Amino acid sequence: MMRDLSLHVLDLIENSIRAGATRIWITLQEHPALDRMEIVVEDNGCGFEVSPERAEDPFYTTKEDKHTGLGLSLLKAAAELTGGGMRIGESELGGAKVEVWMGLGHVDRNPLGDLAAALSCMVCTHPEIEIGCKIAVGSSVRVVQSSNVKAQLPEGERIGLAVARRVSQEIKRALADLGAQQ
Amino acid sequence: MSDDKKITSVEKLRELKSRVKREISLREDGYQACVTVHMGTCGIASGAPEVLDAVLDELEFSGRTDIRVTTSGCIGVCSREPVMTVELLDEKKVLYGDLDPDKARQVFRDHVLEGKVVPRYVVTLGDGA
Repeated sequence: MMRDLSLHVLDLIENSIRAGATRIWITLQEHPALDRMEIVVEDNGCGFEVSPERAEDPFYTTKEDKHTGLGLSLLKAAAELTGGGMRIGESELGGAKVEVWMGLGHVDRNPLGDLAAALSCMVCTHPEIEIGCKIAVGSSVRVVQSSNVKAQLPEGERIGLAVARRVSQEIKRALADLGAQQ
Repeated sequence: MSDDKKITSVEKLRELKSRVKREISLREDGYQACVTVHMGTCGIASGAPEVLDAVLDELEFSGRTDIRVTTSGCIGVCSREPVMTVELLDEKKVLYGDLDPDKARQVFRDHVLEGKVVPRYVVTLGDGA
């Protein structure tokens, strides 16, 4: 079991990278008035090659030497524990889209965890991939995008670690400014 | 060609493409070493993010810019997670397992920076890594 939602996000990003994505977008939306949290991870990779039902099957994997594919089924279970659910399909970016919703204040909702660390480590280790994150609480929205962060840094500092640190800071600031529930 | 090296699926072809691309770019991009932290579902659930954090921390502390740190999916040794592969230019790859942040730091300092393999954490050496 994954203890934090940010670890599930990390797992979905890894799936996107394996699917050949060059653009990955993460959306975290909290609706306090509706007591609802939504997380969407989408990409421009090759998408799902099987039906959603098949992809969610814990005994289905695209890896030939394995017999289980637990990531999506664990995420679905985590969402359903809170009265939520999961939907997978096609993204407007051209690849896969995984969408989960859950009860924001539900006692069984996993904590968000360190989303800033999860995203920044992927920015650092995969500088060739454009990673964007939209954080919204109610109608207030902040967007952090790796390419924008990189462009803001001085020419000599546009290396993975420096970009990742800045991405981490901006995500932490966005979460704090918006008062996102952890 | 042995059976395990045959390309029998698009997935295997993608993995081969990714591996060859990594090996070529290691040389062409001027890197001396590549550290890959395996971040499949099993790895993430076992603490791979903390291992990656420790490795990135050590990389920053070292000040080296000729070392690449990257991630990849599960490589099928789930029972030994978190695992990471260390590859030095022109040397055999080494797969380390049962890691935690402290062990990963030691592997980074001893193997990646000093070139000395850390036998006690090795899972496999060579092509299997």
